[in-house]
Amino acid sequence: MHTDEEPILQIRELTKSFYGVAANNRVSFDLYAGEVHGLLGENGAGKSTLCSILAGLYRPDSGEVALDGDAVTLRSPQDAAHAGIGMVYQHFRLVSSMTVAENMILGLENQSVRLSLRSVETKVAEIAGGYGLEVDPGAYVWQLSVGEQQRVEILRQLLRGARIMILDEPTAVLAPQECDKLFVVVRQMARQGHSVVLVSHKMEEILANTDRVTVLRQGRNAATVATSETSAEELVTMVIGGDHFPEPGRLTARRQDGTAAVLAVSGLRVTGDRGPLAVDGVSFEVRPGQIVGVAGVAGNGQRELQESIAGLRPVSSGSVWIGDRDVTSRSPRSRSRAGLSYVPEDRLGTGLASGLTLEENLVLKSYNEAPYSRWGVLSRRAIASMADKLSAQFDVRGARAKMPVSSMSGGNLQKAVLARELTRPHTVLLAAQPTRGLDLAASAAVRSHILSETAKGRGVLLFSEDLAEITELSDSILVMSQGRIVGSYTPETLDVEELGLLMTGAKVEIE
Amino acid sequence: MTIRLSVVPRAAPPPALRIGVPFASLLAAGVVGGSILVIAGNSPLDAYETMFDASLNGLRPLMRTLTLATPLILTGLAAAITFRMKIWNIGAEGQLYMGAIAASGLAVALPASSPRPVMLLSILLAGAGAGAVWAGLAAIPKAYLNTDEVITTLMLNFIALSLMNYLIFGSASFWRDSAATFPTGKAIPESAELPVLSHRLHYGVLIAVVSAVVLWWVLRRTSWGFELRTIGDSRKASRYAGMRVGPKVVSVLALSGALAGGAGAIEISGVIKGLDPRAVAAELGFTGIVVAAVARLNPLAVVPVATFLAAIVTSGSSLQRIGIETEIVFLLQGLIFLFVAAGDFFLVNKVILRPRPSPALVDGGEPTDE
Repeated sequence: MHTDEEPILQIRELTKSFYGVAANNRVSFDLYAGEVHGLLGENGAGKSTLCSILAGLYRPDSGEVALDGDAVTLRSPQDAAHAGIGMVYQHFRLVSSMTVAENMILGLENQSVRLSLRSVETKVAEIAGGYGLEVDPGAYVWQLSVGEQQRVEILRQLLRGARIMILDEPTAVLAPQECDKLFVVVRQMARQGHSVVLVSHKMEEILANTDRVTVLRQGRNAATVATSETSAEELVTMVIGGDHFPEPGRLTARRQDGTAAVLAVSGLRVTGDRGPLAVDGVSFEVRPGQIVGVAGVAGNGQRELQESIAGLRPVSSGSVWIGDRDVTSRSPRSRSRAGLSYVPEDRLGTGLASGLTLEENLVLKSYNEAPYSRWGVLSRRAIASMADKLSAQFDVRGARAKMPVSSMSGGNLQKAVLARELTRPHTVLLAAQPTRGLDLAASAAVRSHILSETAKGRGVLLFSEDLAEITELSDSILVMSQGRIVGSYTPETLDVEELGLLMTGAKVEIE
Repeated sequence: MTIRLSVVPRAAPPPALRIGVPFASLLAAGVVGGSILVIAGNSPLDAYETMFDASLNGLRPLMRTLTLATPLILTGLAAAITFRMKIWNIGAEGQLYMGAIAASGLAVALPASSPRPVMLLSILLAGAGAGAVWAGLAAIPKAYLNTDEVITTLMLNFIALSLMNYLIFGSASFWRDSAATFPTGKAIPESAELPVLSHRLHYGVLIAVVSAVVLWWVLRRTSWGFELRTIGDSRKASRYAGMRVGPKVVSVLALSGALAGGAGAIEISGVIKGLDPRAVAAELGFTGIVVAAVARLNPLAVVPVATFLAAIVTSGSSLQRIGIETEIVFLLQGLIFLFVAAGDFFLVNKVILRPRPSPALVDGGEPTDE
């Protein structure tokens, strides 16, 4: 379809290495005006590196970036912006205490000394209208939903004259309805001649919204195909290469009503960081062999609920029981001894100490127990042999024994957390966003580990923003919105449309 | 055409730089200091030769340097362990005074005929204990009320200094030697003196070096050290792992205070031989912070760094003898400290200078200039 014109952006044989490992190895990529181009690949396949080079954050070791046929050197994000490349990150670069219009001005060059907010507001409204991006320029960013903030980011790039828009996993943070809105905007941008690079892990998204797809695997080009001529199965094969795609476990109703709960939360109220109640009267039980999924849009009290179950945040009222022990006022360590394993949302920083080595992180909860230490002295041998065993068992790769874990990729970090949490004695697993940001193979591995917990008679409380994951894994689904449980489903009663509406607070279930 | 400067953190500094950077720093300090000496009308070469002779050239100067290095190793360790946990104890100065007060007091109070080992052990433990208690005054509010330890440890320094001055200059206290015409502390009995190794160098240096090695081992190989490193790396991860941060803050600060207080006791026992506030208040605690920073908080590296800084300080007085003014001597010392500490920046970071074409960004597709 584009063969007669010249690509607006061409990348030829681009190579970029970090510490001797090639993140991009002779990668080529081209992009035509008006095209939505999917960029697909596992974690560590080189997508982020490629985007960062285009955004002017990294400079390639070799290879060439050409815009409209002319080679360019992107030395900084400013250079990239001048060249018409706009990047929208997963974590927004917005100042929350400022208004939308004020955020728009940030980073704009050639401003007069007197800020003309009024003219910016007019311009914002004008551009916004043209793309179906509804945003109030006078609203403060902290007042906006995640979806609205993302629109502000896109608008900001458009205002700076971006012809090429790179969206880095834009739907990772959005509720289903907001995703649809986003893709309307993406289509509109393409129609107006912009080119969009859509970085994603989600196959359906790529299939439904792109013209072409480039797949990266282990830093190299795996393939570039027209979306209309490919299928989900074919793309999966290209993404993970020749390896067999692990089968996700089959959903079965493993309800065991007769047994005592391994985790029971009752009437829990927890204050958030900003003061008001973040968790407002939540009660539920998790039984052995059962996976309870909690669905919800981020920021509706899930994090506070997780932290209060783990003992990292005090509760205002209510109680938390692990098995037959009331742990409401107990320390994180005593909860962990009572049988709680916890895979936190924040892998690097909470689940793992980034400056410690893989070995050290694997003993983060057992360093003071035999055989890893005796009389307070660590046994290097016991720790190293345990680490070797767990790394092999959980397929943790990319770790160098004496390097800090911060150099590992997301999937391997998560496998390390799971390796530690699943192999210690426990009766209940609290898993928060266990596959967020992970590639297909790593996600499948994580899910099968979670499923295997039920076979061992353990209970699982699973928090996820990925509805497909929740519905695939859970025996019972709770919907959380504004600190409350607003709905609950079993596999038989599940209504995904309704669930999505409940999540966004658009519908309140009538009991 | 403008020049753009960018700073990129290094993963691990190459070995050549680890050696090269400190030498380059010294050289830079030498050149800048030399220029100042020339302006002041002195010969830089004479000055540097004198400094070398006075601090490192020969047994006597070397022993003098090591004698001064002894307390600096201990205060350097005191700073390093708390900094490793991201707790900023800048109160080693005051903890050292308290150690000196306790050690000298006990040395005078115990019967002079006590056996030397009993005497030495008692006064060293008393010094370490006093330092630990003094640090604990800041540690407990830090651990349980989250007060700012930078403020509390700093303020406790002034209180300790005032207390020490009061005991000797402001009152007829137990510590003060009433027979002396100028106010000073009572001399400690001979049984409380650390034996001499060679020239003025006493056995305290061994205590300091052994402390460095033990601390290095403790940090790497014990669960106590593991907790300290984890808390220093990530508060959140350590709480998640079930570590109790509060008690750890108290124990680490107490150990830090004990090291500084021990340094005070060793100074009394090995060098000063009585509570003389003018000799005790020699900024040994503050210099320990510089030692820890330059040693990059590595207990083993504290030993050579402390020795080096001690060499600079001991050579100062010899410069005055060849007619260089005191102010210039302090300035030279300051420059060397500054350059060595600043050189660390180049070890941790890579600085890239490159021309930036203005204002167009298209530059004909030439290979990049790195």
